[in-house]
Amino acid sequence: MPVPVVEFSDERLPNGLRLIVAEDHLAPVVAVNIWYNVGSKHEVPGKTGFAHLFEHVMFQGSAHVGKSEHMAIVQAAGGTLNGTTWLDRTNYFETMPSHQLELALWLEADRMGSLLDALNQENLDNQRDVVKNEKRWSYDNRPYGQWIHKLLGHVYPESHPYHHPTIGSMEDLDAASLADVRHFFETYYVPNNAVLSVVGDCDHDQVRAWVDHYFGAIPPNPDIPPLPDMSLPPVIGEEKREVVEDRVPLARVHFAFRAPAFGDRRLDALDLATQLLSGGKSSRLTRRLVREERIAQDVMIGAVPAVGGASIMLGSATVRPGVDPAVVEAAYLDELAKLAAEAPSQDEMERARALTEADELGYLSRVEERADRLSMYATLFDEPAMVNTILGRYLSVTAEQIRDVAAQVFRADNRVVLTYLPAAGSAEAGEGTDDTGEGTDDAAAAGDEGEAQA
Amino acid sequence: MSPNDGIIAERPVPGVPRPYEFPDTFRTTLDNGLQVVVTPMAGRELVAASLVIRTGAADEPADIAGATVLAARGLTEGTEVRDAIALTEAFERLGASMHAEAGWDAVAAGLDVPASRLEPALDLLAEVVRRPSFPSSEVERLRDERLNDLIQAKADPRRRAEEAFVSSIYAASSPYRRPAGGTPETVARLTSAELRSIHSGVYGPAGAALFVAGDVEPAAVTGMAERLFGDWTGGHAGVTVPDASSAVGERFIRVIHRPGAVQSEIRIGYPGIARKTPDFHAVYVMAMILGGLFNSRLMSNLREDKGYTYGAHAGFDVRRAPGPFAARAAVNTEVTVPSITEFIKELERMREEPVTTDELSSAQNFIVGIFPLRFETPGPVVGSLSGLFTYDLPEDELIRYRSAIEAVTIEDVQRAAREHIHPERCAIVLVGDHDKIGADLEAAGIAPIEVITDEPEASGHGG
Repeated sequence: MPVPVVEFSDERLPNGLRLIVAEDHLAPVVAVNIWYNVGSKHEVPGKTGFAHLFEHVMFQGSAHVGKSEHMAIVQAAGGTLNGTTWLDRTNYFETMPSHQLELALWLEADRMGSLLDALNQENLDNQRDVVKNEKRWSYDNRPYGQWIHKLLGHVYPESHPYHHPTIGSMEDLDAASLADVRHFFETYYVPNNAVLSVVGDCDHDQVRAWVDHYFGAIPPNPDIPPLPDMSLPPVIGEEKREVVEDRVPLARVHFAFRAPAFGDRRLDALDLATQLLSGGKSSRLTRRLVREERIAQDVMIGAVPAVGGASIMLGSATVRPGVDPAVVEAAYLDELAKLAAEAPSQDEMERARALTEADELGYLSRVEERADRLSMYATLFDEPAMVNTILGRYLSVTAEQIRDVAAQVFRADNRVVLTYLPAAGSAEAGEGTDDTGEGTDDAAAAGDEGEAQA
Repeated sequence: MSPNDGIIAERPVPGVPRPYEFPDTFRTTLDNGLQVVVTPMAGRELVAASLVIRTGAADEPADIAGATVLAARGLTEGTEVRDAIALTEAFERLGASMHAEAGWDAVAAGLDVPASRLEPALDLLAEVVRRPSFPSSEVERLRDERLNDLIQAKADPRRRAEEAFVSSIYAASSPYRRPAGGTPETVARLTSAELRSIHSGVYGPAGAALFVAGDVEPAAVTGMAERLFGDWTGGHAGVTVPDASSAVGERFIRVIHRPGAVQSEIRIGYPGIARKTPDFHAVYVMAMILGGLFNSRLMSNLREDKGYTYGAHAGFDVRRAPGPFAARAAVNTEVTVPSITEFIKELERMREEPVTTDELSSAQNFIVGIFPLRFETPGPVVGSLSGLFTYDLPEDELIRYRSAIEAVTIEDVQRAAREHIHPERCAIVLVGDHDKIGADLEAAGIAPIEVITDEPEASGHGG
């Protein structure tokens, strides 16, 4: 089955802005996507949550765009938009009817070039309140809500930039000042720290002319500070265990492992391994824990890719009532151990490959996703062509490579086991959480401190 | 040199829109009544297919509520020919992802598959829809998972709020009062027998349609449908309109007490409109201005002005009969009462104050402008065509849709608001810490208050 090749151009403006254009005239739509090479890994202690708070500020207006007007202009032009912040990035994107492309480019240029003109204490305070409510809504007021933060904290040492949550702490959010915001903008929101991808119904030469016109005069920052060394030992070095009593009806066991960094071929093998483990009804964990032994309500496992030293592998199993969480934990880990001991069968491999191929076909059929991938691969690896080579990498993974990476990652001295138990005596003991459908999406959902239900 | 030298002040004007039409769609009806609806989309290699049965959870007997949803889930648990694992593996070998679910108005069993493997995938789809075996052991497991999920839902503030809200606004005679997946009492009764009876009663070519979109030939797909479904019989041809009687008279407040909650989940509303209402387009535009757009009145006020919430929204959930109208937000506990006051103020203003031409054109331009974006890939095309079938709408609804939206006037919006926005007779449902908000709520005198404290659940359902 042929997955179409994405043809694209790749060039830089004199001010350092990297521009990637991929024409596709199938539908009259075009995606504009900017990755700024700044994420929560750039935050220092005392200033956590800053990259994400800043993402909100980016929607508060610039020299020629009023407060919240960015959203209004895009929507009134028939477009959709959003922005997200995560460990390694902050990205902003619009999908527009193709005749509105120039407007989207102008909007992005105006805030890259003149955000500080519109910045004031009132807007900062307002968005600080919004973000604090986002934190309450996404984490603090949810059953099991802190799991991702606890796991990041265990897998990455305290000195490491992935140790703290992207959403930040209430204290640090309170402490964020206008001076901090200005400094952050001047340091990171500069053309030589950004990749702009335009994908869809557009003309390359016209796009380049518009980008020169709107972005050309924005000055670069020659002094973007380098990140500290983020390298890590391949394993945590010990098993870490934590038990939390919470207002949850069903116990849940969360797992985390330190995994190879994004870009490492071994992570490709690990991604395929997660398909074999929890990718469908016949996957190993689902089959044993949910369907046959019926000790778990749901199971999941998935890698969250990260470039700085190590990725994190996340897993979970929600424990059926009346079942000892230790039994669920043992069965879960036993399945991981089996994968580490014996290479999967050819039939399993073929099914995983067929699904991976179809998934890729689905992702790449949308201009928005294609633009995001191009920006991502250019930002993180300086290699946008990975949009075309990543599938081949997945398909070339062998059964033995899966076994080997499982053996390297799923080790007792490389794992975190976080168990949520219903709090004894709590009015909520015997009560519960998000539905099973959401549970399986947790790894993906955790990737976006999203802005705006636009 | 000013830091803004070279920044272009002038906002660009739009280019010439490339004309867009909803893709041509080919409809045939097989002799047994099954409709076959094919939408060729050149270059779309990943094809979407969906078999839709126009009978849903609202149509099932109240005492076995949840059977329709469970039966849809049970479709992929095994057939007369193979068990669930063999079935899943067969789909996987084709690179096909299969999903089956039921809602209030319909059941949809669908898949996404590369075009070259459409026929074998449809073959499997036909097997799943026509010959499920509902093995009793798997049905028991699905039932227990659903019961556990209901327990989990009570502890999640958002799900608890939705459940308390619908049970507050619908009368006992309405199916919409309960979750579509049933209640603990009714789900506990479900066995293979109930699922088989739902299947034999409503699954069949009468009242069903097969939708396929992507890089396909209509004649070829119709041929496949004829071969796979031509000898299918049964089904339920009629379209019923469920009872959507309201339980809301005078305004009232119901608080689900959740000690220690750092936010209050707020739901304000009542039964709204059915999808097939002639006023649909005006109501949709009105709701977009009230609480749909990013710069809607609710968002501008509660988020961008006050900072009370991450998001405030309002909208009509349209079904065959009037689904809920709800205004929603999760707000900081301390600002619960001011938030409710602002919600009510905005609902009143929607009725009293005509929208501006800017508000109207923003909403219209958004709805009309995103139309081509919505249909970039086959999945949403199949979804929207299924909606026409499910709600018994004219075949040309998607063709006429944009002009119907553009025809809405300021007067239409105000009339829609006066007819469908009722701040004086709404339910206000809160999930939050009553110890912290109770006194303020009482003092505000918004409406009579009832407080509910959930009992702890005794136990869930193990293996």
